[in-house]
Amino acid sequence: MANRIVVDPITRIEGHLRLEVEVKDGKIVDAYSSGTMVRGFELILKGRDPRDAWAFTERACGVCTTVHALASVRTVEDALGITVPPNAELVRNLMFCAQYMQDHVVHFYHLHALDWVDVVSALKADPKKTSEIAQSISNWPKSSPGYFSDLQKRLTAFVESGQLGIFANGYWGHSAYKLPAEVNLIGVAHYLEALEWQKEVVKIHTIFGGKNPHPNYLVGGAACSINIDDANALNAERLAKVGSLLEIAAEFIEKVYIPDLMAVASFYKDWGAIGGGLSNYLAYGDLPTHGYGDPEHFKFPRGVILGRDLSKVHPVDGKNDAEIQEFISRSWYEYGSGDGDGKHPWKGETKLKYTGPKPPYDHLDVDKKYSWLKTPRWKGNAMEVGPLSRMLVAYASGREEVKEVVGAALKQLDVPVTALFSTLGRTAARGLETKLVAGWSKEFYSQLLANIKNGDTRLWAGEKWAPETWPAEAKGVGMTEAPRGALAHWIVIKDRKIENYQLVVPSTWNASPRDPKGQMSAYESALIGTPVANPEVPLELLRTIHSFDPCLACAVHLYDEKGRYLNQVQVL
Amino acid sequence: MTAAAVASPRVLVLGVGNLLMRDEGIGIHVVRELEREEWPERVTVLDGGTGGFHLLSYLCEHERIVMVDATMDGEPPGTIRVLRPRSLTDMPRTLSAHDIGLRDLLESAALLGAKPEVVLVTVSVAEISGEGVPLSTELSPRVLRVLPEAAALVRGLAREVGRQASA
Repeated sequence: MANRIVVDPITRIEGHLRLEVEVKDGKIVDAYSSGTMVRGFELILKGRDPRDAWAFTERACGVCTTVHALASVRTVEDALGITVPPNAELVRNLMFCAQYMQDHVVHFYHLHALDWVDVVSALKADPKKTSEIAQSISNWPKSSPGYFSDLQKRLTAFVESGQLGIFANGYWGHSAYKLPAEVNLIGVAHYLEALEWQKEVVKIHTIFGGKNPHPNYLVGGAACSINIDDANALNAERLAKVGSLLEIAAEFIEKVYIPDLMAVASFYKDWGAIGGGLSNYLAYGDLPTHGYGDPEHFKFPRGVILGRDLSKVHPVDGKNDAEIQEFISRSWYEYGSGDGDGKHPWKGETKLKYTGPKPPYDHLDVDKKYSWLKTPRWKGNAMEVGPLSRMLVAYASGREEVKEVVGAALKQLDVPVTALFSTLGRTAARGLETKLVAGWSKEFYSQLLANIKNGDTRLWAGEKWAPETWPAEAKGVGMTEAPRGALAHWIVIKDRKIENYQLVVPSTWNASPRDPKGQMSAYESALIGTPVANPEVPLELLRTIHSFDPCLACAVHLYDEKGRYLNQVQVL
Repeated sequence: MTAAAVASPRVLVLGVGNLLMRDEGIGIHVVRELEREEWPERVTVLDGGTGGFHLLSYLCEHERIVMVDATMDGEPPGTIRVLRPRSLTDMPRTLSAHDIGLRDLLESAALLGAKPEVVLVTVSVAEISGEGVPLSTELSPRVLRVLPEAAALVRGLAREVGRQASA
């Protein structure tokens, strides 16, 4: 009889996803992923002013906060036919880049690294050897034997105080940890440095968005004004601060994140054949260089890859009602037209109908409906979204700079291109795109400065701000790439109010339940075949799920009134 | 420098919670009341929302923190309590239902050498979005009724901890 493991919640620090997996002979043979909390944005937005929608959607999540605002303003602009000025696009791009750099580094060090790095083993490292290894992989200055020795003392004191704190959730000493003690110590050192680093980088959001968390956005442009001499505007001093923050960000990514990623990956190459899951990849693309209306010139291209065939990229149209559809046959909703139906988000319905077990429960009834997430499909296909999808779509689209960084990483690790379709590939793709984003952010910054120098300070297109200028009915879609993957909002405006509003978020693509045809979504599919040496401490399972960077705060909201955490794993 | 040695400590008045999840957003409602008032320069009144790691710099840059949050502690909705955790282990791991793992963040701040003194104001709540309860920005009547009282309490605590030169 197979063992069923329940991990609820699954994220290390912020979590609200429930997974039920079955293990047989040391491998996962079946998996069910459930979002256990209802959302229902449309219920909150219906009847409101479309220009305010961003401020509500932005509150969906503390991590993806800016991306929902971006998708929302684009959706309204698309519906009303508004084109934002080039500077506004650049400001949005810079906020997007800051979000990516912060979020991906935090993911790597604070939400994922401890699946690979054994903190307790780091206490046994030889600081001198650690220094030699650190200096062999990077010229990052904080690498002396004294630096690592001091850090080790701090860490020892912390562990001996009995307050492992944020490190308490790890499975220290697990046989699946393969790094030498010295590499573990480097990992812990950079965990702490990344904490310090990330709190500076996000200040870019405060500069452009007035506040952080939850910076301000604006339909028609950016919520700031450029005046290089005005103390309250985007002035010379603040622009210079952005420039220096971007430099600091890029240096850390180049000299710390990427070398660490490669060093860790080199000890875990077997994970290049585990956790692949689905073979279809979707990216909406983002980072416009000729305006949002011209996806051909996005830095991240738009497209779909089917069956891992990198010779062909299929186009994606968010407005075609036969392409993106949401199904609810395994979700706690009902459709007027019947449960087997798929609905394009413009025609989306959100009628709640909970039929699951009464909480608290031991198991979901996975043969019936088992999630608050709807199940999105592209032309009926289950799709993975996220960094791996973005890198694969760009690679298959022939983007040279992407091919270059991906090719170099494969060569350095001495693994074939098929190793990308895996847990390791997902984690590596996230790092590689961060490196690209760091470079692109400097291009956007230079362009913004050049525009200002040339006298262009426009940040807002206000011609269609007044509701009197709007048509009686309008529909729009706003697409973006959240750090976790393809994100889009759909709006229907009627009589100048929101008639329907639907979000299809990355974690819905990846973490949703099965569809009417029984096809699994990305999480469930990727878990099949993942080894689990000890079901009481399923470290391997976490590696695969964390490689997606789950953020169910995005998809469904958490409840955790009992404070249950990762280390409470039941084996049944 | 430890918080106790600071002559004029910087004070962070921090509301956390999710505005979209009914009573869960009480911390933000309180902060929005206080944002309208004049505060000395060393006091920051912050809508922390569901800020997660975005809040770390604020936690590291203030010696005293007055935090207001929702809790589901089984008390009647609208019950207000003041907690003064002496150490991180006294902090509840999660208070309620939003994303922020505040204790995780304070532990992260401690790893970076920052140990702000925290006073926690909790408001017991009735309704949050959850299984079968969709999102809404409305507070339930019993929690809405104590909003002025909670704001006054937080206002007083912010002044009190800002005056203390040492703990």
